[in-house]
Amino acid sequence: MIKIDTKAFIQAKFSEYYEKNSLNIHPPSSMEKREFGFLLLKERIMLRHKAFKTAQEFRDSFKTLIPSHVYFSSAYYERPEEEMEEKGWLGADLVFDIDADHISAPCSKTHDTWSCPHCKTTGRGTPPKKCPKCNKQKFEEKTWPCEICLESAKEETIKLIDILTNDLGFSTNEMSLSFSGHRGYHLHVESKDILTLNSTSRKEIVDYIVGIGLDPQLHGLSKIGGPNLDDFGWRGRIARGTYEYLLSATPEQLEKIGLPRGVIQSLGKHKERILESWKYKGPWTMIKGVSFESWSKIAEQALKNQAAKIDTVVTTDVHRLIRLADTLHGKTGLKKTETSIATIEEFDPLKSAVAFPHGTASVDVSEAPKFRVGSEFHGPYRNEKVELPMAAALFLLCKGSARITEVGSSVR
Amino acid sequence: MEIPSFPIAIMMVVATADSRIKRTYALAEAKRASTLLKGERKETIMKIANNFKWKLEPAQPRPNLLNYDFALDFKDYIRNAAIIQHKKWKLVNRMLSKGEVFLTKVEVCRLLEEEVRRYIEQKLQVKVKSLSPDIMNRINRLKQLFYEKRGKTSWEEIPSEVIIIAYPPCIKRLHETISSGHHLSHIGRFTLTTFLVNIGMTTENVVDLFRSLADFKERMTRYQVEHIAGLKGSRTKYIPPQCDTLRTHGVCPGMDDICRRIRHPLAYYRRKLRIIKTEAPLAPGA
Repeated sequence: MIKIDTKAFIQAKFSEYYEKNSLNIHPPSSMEKREFGFLLLKERIMLRHKAFKTAQEFRDSFKTLIPSHVYFSSAYYERPEEEMEEKGWLGADLVFDIDADHISAPCSKTHDTWSCPHCKTTGRGTPPKKCPKCNKQKFEEKTWPCEICLESAKEETIKLIDILTNDLGFSTNEMSLSFSGHRGYHLHVESKDILTLNSTSRKEIVDYIVGIGLDPQLHGLSKIGGPNLDDFGWRGRIARGTYEYLLSATPEQLEKIGLPRGVIQSLGKHKERILESWKYKGPWTMIKGVSFESWSKIAEQALKNQAAKIDTVVTTDVHRLIRLADTLHGKTGLKKTETSIATIEEFDPLKSAVAFPHGTASVDVSEAPKFRVGSEFHGPYRNEKVELPMAAALFLLCKGSARITEVGSSVR
Repeated sequence: MEIPSFPIAIMMVVATADSRIKRTYALAEAKRASTLLKGERKETIMKIANNFKWKLEPAQPRPNLLNYDFALDFKDYIRNAAIIQHKKWKLVNRMLSKGEVFLTKVEVCRLLEEEVRRYIEQKLQVKVKSLSPDIMNRINRLKQLFYEKRGKTSWEEIPSEVIIIAYPPCIKRLHETISSGHHLSHIGRFTLTTFLVNIGMTTENVVDLFRSLADFKERMTRYQVEHIAGLKGSRTKYIPPQCDTLRTHGVCPGMDDICRRIRHPLAYYRRKLRIIKTEAPLAPGA
């Protein structure tokens, strides 16, 4: 058996992908005004301030550079190839990043791992403050894209789309939505009206989406009433959030947000009446013993679930580099995949993002949780040799959880 | 007489070559414009707003939206409202539907004030060639008058030693996080560094703070701290982000009493120093 080097193998596969698929990779609009960045697989360095004049030049670059990650700027510049201060900023698209890292889905404990590079101690979930064995504070973390994480990222994305269309009035034609190839979604808004918005204005958009600084009293919550389910904007969201929250919250959860015992009992006793009240003007003033202060606390809590958990830094940054659609994600070997907003509910990211649908490879897995790439589940594995479909094998290799041992027959 | 007086006023303000006079003048003119607008009819206000390329329309009466006069495109809204501090001006606290913000006439006039202020400030950006000595004398007299009335700007002296107990809650938390060797977000590091550099901590001491971090690289950290301090690169000394920005990015751990009265971490530090001084006038070394 010929010994194959894992790194060289990944590089060969990435190279093969770009040779075969470069025609399917489309330059972003106004390509010549954008900055491109490449993280090189072999040299592990970031090549920034690249610019292209023609689609041919753009496509050839993937084949010659063989990058592990490809980015383009959300910004437009007069001279994109110059240093930052010299570029001449012309404007930027409005971009959103939703990543499972910001959502803290409950499943992270089952699939994320950390290891201490000093004493090799390992554990699950988010790393501790100090290594329990050697007290060092540096860890290597490994996060996994899983169905549950990606499903919660999708839920946040759907909330974001609702706010962008219904509240902010963007048309879905101005948006493109993609699975990032790892743990989340990117939403890109291209509209000439937002190009020159500065960082301060974008921050207002972020605060709107995340609900930062929201005061329910400025949305009609008062001693004499409150918002209705069919109200516009945040007003309606506060009402709908309160409706949902009161349906699902346990007495313990209500106690946690600081509601007095008596209030919790009243809410429990009048559950039916509260439900009924939404048909008219909502429950805000009609439940005896539940004060305005208590309703404020409930509304405060309720609106948290209505906000969309976006990465606040990405959207306010007017020079941001964003992964390019149909290029490979170096941490997974999956490709960033565009999907239509209309069919987001049915979109299966782990199936659609497969970049290597053919062939198999044998890998030596050190450790991997149960995972899915394509339609099949694999694992969990621990110190074992397995033969996997190429996409799944490459996924583990890119994650650094396996070494290549043998390549299946269908691959040259 | 009103109309020709405006270009003359602009010319004179430009000739002062003082950015504070320019700002004060622009603000005063904008406030006057806004007061006058409040007495105008809706149609006139629409015309003026459209002149500034605003997408402003009369609000269509809807059952859930009473008491509003206008609907304004939210992009035009945030361009002008984002710098107004009161929470009722935050986009998140406004009634919004399909990209339009619903506003009263008085609110539209307040927003136009911002637009006018920027418009005049931009007009004041030009340079004038030399004016006759007679006019320059008058301008200098006006300048003198302004300084007498307003006084020269003077930031209260920040003491050269670093007073940790005067740190705002955000900086306290960042400081603790980093001292214990824990990871800090990019914006967290930037906030901490700019704050410390601005209250007079030496580059050396700031670099030392980062030493306990797992990914510490001395050369890189020193370069970045010196860059932020304005000793390298673009030579701009950076200041920390405003409180509002820190809230957006989750750096603000929650406000205390002083926070409620300031908008910037450095303002907190100055205010707290004043309080410490009055509370303990005979502190050692004072």
